[in-house]
Amino acid sequence: MNKLIILIFLVMSFSEDTSRSDQFITRQGQVSFFSYTSVENIEAKNNQVLSIIDLSKGEIAVSMLMNAFVFKKALMHEHFNESYIESDLYPKATFEGRIVDFDPLADIQTRMIKGNLTIHGIANEVEIKTTIQNNNGSYLFTGDFEATVKDYDIKIPPILAPNIAKTISITFRFEYQPYEK
Amino acid sequence: MRNSTQFLIYFFMMLGLGITSNAQDLLETLEKEYPDTPQYELATFKASRLSIGHSIETRKKGILEIQAFNRFWNIPDYESQSFVADKLGARIGLEYGISDRLTFGAGGSTLESIFDGFFKYKLIKQRSDGKGSPLSISLFQNMAYRSERNRPFVDVNRFDEFGDKLSYTSQILIARKFTPQFSAQISPTYIHRSSSAFSEDPNNQFAIGVGGRYKLGGHVSIVSEYFYVFNPLKSINTYDAFSLGVNWELSDVMLQFQLTNTRGMTEESFITQTPNVFNFKDGNFVFGFNAIFVLHLSQKKP
Repeated sequence: MNKLIILIFLVMSFSEDTSRSDQFITRQGQVSFFSYTSVENIEAKNNQVLSIIDLSKGEIAVSMLMNAFVFKKALMHEHFNESYIESDLYPKATFEGRIVDFDPLADIQTRMIKGNLTIHGIANEVEIKTTIQNNNGSYLFTGDFEATVKDYDIKIPPILAPNIAKTISITFRFEYQPYEK
Repeated sequence: MRNSTQFLIYFFMMLGLGITSNAQDLLETLEKEYPDTPQYELATFKASRLSIGHSIETRKKGILEIQAFNRFWNIPDYESQSFVADKLGARIGLEYGISDRLTFGAGGSTLESIFDGFFKYKLIKQRSDGKGSPLSISLFQNMAYRSERNRPFVDVNRFDEFGDKLSYTSQILIARKFTPQFSAQISPTYIHRSSSAFSEDPNNQFAIGVGGRYKLGGHVSIVSEYFYVFNPLKSINTYDAFSLGVNWELSDVMLQFQLTNTRGMTEESFITQTPNVFNFKDGNFVFGFNAIFVLHLSQKKP
């Protein structure tokens, strides 16, 4: 009897372990942002974005270091981190959300991801339209959305207001592989 | 009985394990996935000058800085109808980032027609992740050529041969960014003058500079700097250099304003040969204004 119970629990614990493989991760996710104005175009790219998805729950999380963004001009990188994003105080931007009506088996699908985007220490609820491709056990998430600078309490001095767009367009590309601990 | 206690223990163990693995947040999982790459403090100071003296900052590779430094002062009881100020000194300079760590700069000053060139090398970078060095250290070496006598002041060096007019300054610039707002720097300085017009004057002088900046907002900071000379010149009265200023940076332009007592803009000139004390009287008070324009000659592809 006792052995049987132990066996049941062993099976249960193994099944819990296998549910872990529902998690997929990327360590080289790409996030770019663009600010187009008549005065100046600013673009930056981060190639070291971390993201994880949990297929069983349809949940997604993204985390990135703000100073890993690469700019065309070295001074832009300094100003972005020092004067605007204040990466001394808020080193990371994160996203935590849920994929609405996610079907892990579909080859290609376009879904809304709802969640909280935290930049500059301020969380805002966002909805992001994402194209999800299933390539034999790996997933590719791509999409773009816009974020308003004002929503994240990023201060821009009036004299530089023409140089920085009010809304920043952001594109992303995450290629997930099965997560092994 | 014994079996059932074993069962209960095992049951709770499994329950506990189940809870911990389920409650593990996805974001927390990601936190552990960050690679252990060193993180450095970004801008201890914004410009290559703290206020009057050099800061630890070097320009990144491929950046050319075009600089116009100006000093304005009045002469007491001076019969003139000059606009704003009686006298003006200027230094036009260029600085270029050879690599992310090494900067070369050169410039010419109108006062005493000093031409100077220097190298600055960023030796140690302060880490922001609590590991590694808590300080940033840069090495500075310059050479200055004084081509004109500064009348009516007494000249401390000879003007006979080319070599007589040279001076060398070496500095170890040590700085720490304490908080995102506050950074401080200490700079031991050694100055060598090739010739002395008076035998009582030292050819080698030692000084120490102390300075700091406090950021008022994202773009404006107040700065102050002071240089103490251990063995000042004996033939003329000199005073320690002091400056109180505001630095303002706007995208590619940096503006630095100073209230100071120094007129020269090369190290040997303002650290060892400032002939007046700092106060707001005519003849002593100097207003300084540095304009710096940053050009990115080589740009990265993002």
